[in-house]
Amino acid sequence: MTTAVSGVGALAAPARRVGKLHREGLAAYLFLSPALLFFCVFLILPFIFAIVLAFSDWGGFDLSTLKWAGFSNFGDVLSFDGTFVKPILVNTLLFAFGSVFLATFGSVLVAYCIDRLSFQGFWRVLYFLPVVATVVAIGNVWKMMYQPAGLINAVLNKLGVNSVGFLSDSSYALPSVTVVHAWASIGGAVLILTAGLKAIPEMYYEAAEVDGANSWHMFWSITLPLLRPALLFVLITQFIGGLQSFALIIVMTGDGGPVNATNVAAFEMYQRAFKFGAWGTASAMAMVLFVIILAITLLQLWIARRRGEETS
Amino acid sequence: MRISKGLRLAVVAGLLASAAACGGSGDSGGGSGSGGKVELTLLSHYSDGPSKDGLDKMIAQWNKDNPKIQVKAQVVKFDDLLTTMTVRQTGGRGADIVSAYGLWGGQLMKANVVAKVPDDIATKIKAEYSPAALGAVTTGDTLLGYPTELNTYVLFYNKKILAAAGITKPPTTWAELADDAKKTVKRDAKGNIQVEGLSLIQDGDNKSVHPFLSLLDSAGGKFLGADGTPQFDNDQGKAALKFEGDLAAAKASNTSISPTKQFRSGGVAMALQAGWWIGSLKTQMKDKYASDVGVTAIPGPTPGSKGSLAYGFFMGVNQRSKHADEAWKFLTWMNEHKASGGDVTETGKWLADQGLIPPRTADQAEYKKSLSDPNLAPIYDAATYAMAEPNQPGAYEAKTGLHNAIMTVLADGKNPDDALAQAAKAVKPQ
Repeated sequence: MTTAVSGVGALAAPARRVGKLHREGLAAYLFLSPALLFFCVFLILPFIFAIVLAFSDWGGFDLSTLKWAGFSNFGDVLSFDGTFVKPILVNTLLFAFGSVFLATFGSVLVAYCIDRLSFQGFWRVLYFLPVVATVVAIGNVWKMMYQPAGLINAVLNKLGVNSVGFLSDSSYALPSVTVVHAWASIGGAVLILTAGLKAIPEMYYEAAEVDGANSWHMFWSITLPLLRPALLFVLITQFIGGLQSFALIIVMTGDGGPVNATNVAAFEMYQRAFKFGAWGTASAMAMVLFVIILAITLLQLWIARRRGEETS
Repeated sequence: MRISKGLRLAVVAGLLASAAACGGSGDSGGGSGSGGKVELTLLSHYSDGPSKDGLDKMIAQWNKDNPKIQVKAQVVKFDDLLTTMTVRQTGGRGADIVSAYGLWGGQLMKANVVAKVPDDIATKIKAEYSPAALGAVTTGDTLLGYPTELNTYVLFYNKKILAAAGITKPPTTWAELADDAKKTVKRDAKGNIQVEGLSLIQDGDNKSVHPFLSLLDSAGGKFLGADGTPQFDNDQGKAALKFEGDLAAAKASNTSISPTKQFRSGGVAMALQAGWWIGSLKTQMKDKYASDVGVTAIPGPTPGSKGSLAYGFFMGVNQRSKHADEAWKFLTWMNEHKASGGDVTETGKWLADQGLIPPRTADQAEYKKSLSDPNLAPIYDAATYAMAEPNQPGAYEAKTGLHNAIMTVLADGKNPDDALAQAAKAVKPQ
């Protein structure tokens, strides 16, 4: 009997533990339910709806007017006769790659310099200020500076150079906006990179110094390799931000002009959906952009992992 | 099974949070209050200045006289109007009465936003409003609502700049217009424009299209056919765009100059602009307005020819409104009752006070009798011959494509024929 009771007790103890774990799991899910519901309502459902819209013809407003369109929206969007592939998608990639290159190069330089200066907090705040300022303010200030009678042209005129239509000439408009986007992004990247620099043990530099390495060697052989995880994070986030960005373009060129020179995918989606009521093509564009972002991000991660690095 | 206190707390918290996340009223537009009182909502872009004051005054008068049908104005900036309508209508919160730009009419109709105008009201509107006003708010054969704002395009010129260049009268043909633009343009040694000869853009959406369509009209051309097919890729369209391209190539016109900012300070000699601009110029230039600003019809390619574009707004009733009858009752009163002590309607007065053309023929005739400003006469005249801006579904997209084509000519020097052919190819009739 004792053996039987103890056997039952031995069986009952794990069962109780399982029951307790089950209850705790249930409680955990219940506590998580507001966040899960939020995630579902504001992320999963809109994403599913966007996929449905990408295969539909819908003018907005009334869901009863939604019609199945098959792949025709993708056909329109990816047609080489249209404007989405060229110039819009090309502009988007140039804008994203250009701003990532400039912002990353600039932020590494700035972070490296700040790491060697006194009053580092002050410098970090200074470079972070554009991140705090609104895009509208930044865009308008730069727009004024780019004007034919603005500060930059005044300087060029003093140097004997004729005025440049930074935002009105289709050859200069995209690079001009890209520079501003990169400038406005540097602050956030500097913050991450300075944290990355602080994490590099000082002993590596001391050992290199003993071996007679100069500053350039130390930067190239110690700083840059050990900064790669932070750099990877900066690259990925900046690139995704660059591909999705359009607020600055609306402020600076208004309509993605001149002649679509600054029109990017996110802005075109907004125009198609909210101006022309073409929600199907807008959603198809969103899907194409989603696939591009996913592919490039996976590529970046794959390259990084081959070198044995993670972002976290 | 016993449920622990913590688990019960979690269940309650989860349910409360879920309920809060899913909460919200499902009202669409106005509602019925106590005692059968109806509250109508009116969404418009009349958000400040005399436009808001005038509309608020009319609504206050109606609300006082009709305690059972109360109207509540909801306003947003024009730039946010279509987006606001889209979001609110999709969310079941569309206003009972919507004020919209005629160009959007086709897509609003296609998406079942605006209700059909009742036959008796439509008959009256068609009989009593000017053809330009009706054209700007009619899609196919379907009238979208009561025409409200009506604007026509004319040639604004700076009398002093023209006189200083030895020009004694405003241009009456394209050749004279081009000559005058080239005579008045001024640039400094660094190439910066001091005075632009002729501005071919206006502020706002698709800024190059309205001036181009005015020139196209003056040459006898059209933008879109009734079925939405492109009509501008022909001799008239090519001539109009070549005219613009030649001026840009001669550097007499430059798209980086904003006429609404620089005309008032003498930075622009001539500009193709809408009539509403008069009100702004009067405010900005004060005493200089009368001495410096002249307005004339947009000349055509041959002597005696002229052209203009008319665009308009309308007020219609939301198809989802639960109080459509009451909404039409209010709109009928708003558009038909006379202003106190006058021969014009209150709405006509409200619009004329803003420098706009009243769309009702009788109001126009009454105002034309006693125009205090001679510059208004060409604007009113244009309402009789202007091309109404097409507004079928797809027109907005076609207009944007045309804008891009025009800009390739004005900003990049592209061949006008190629640009128009590309724009025409991109038009998709719906």
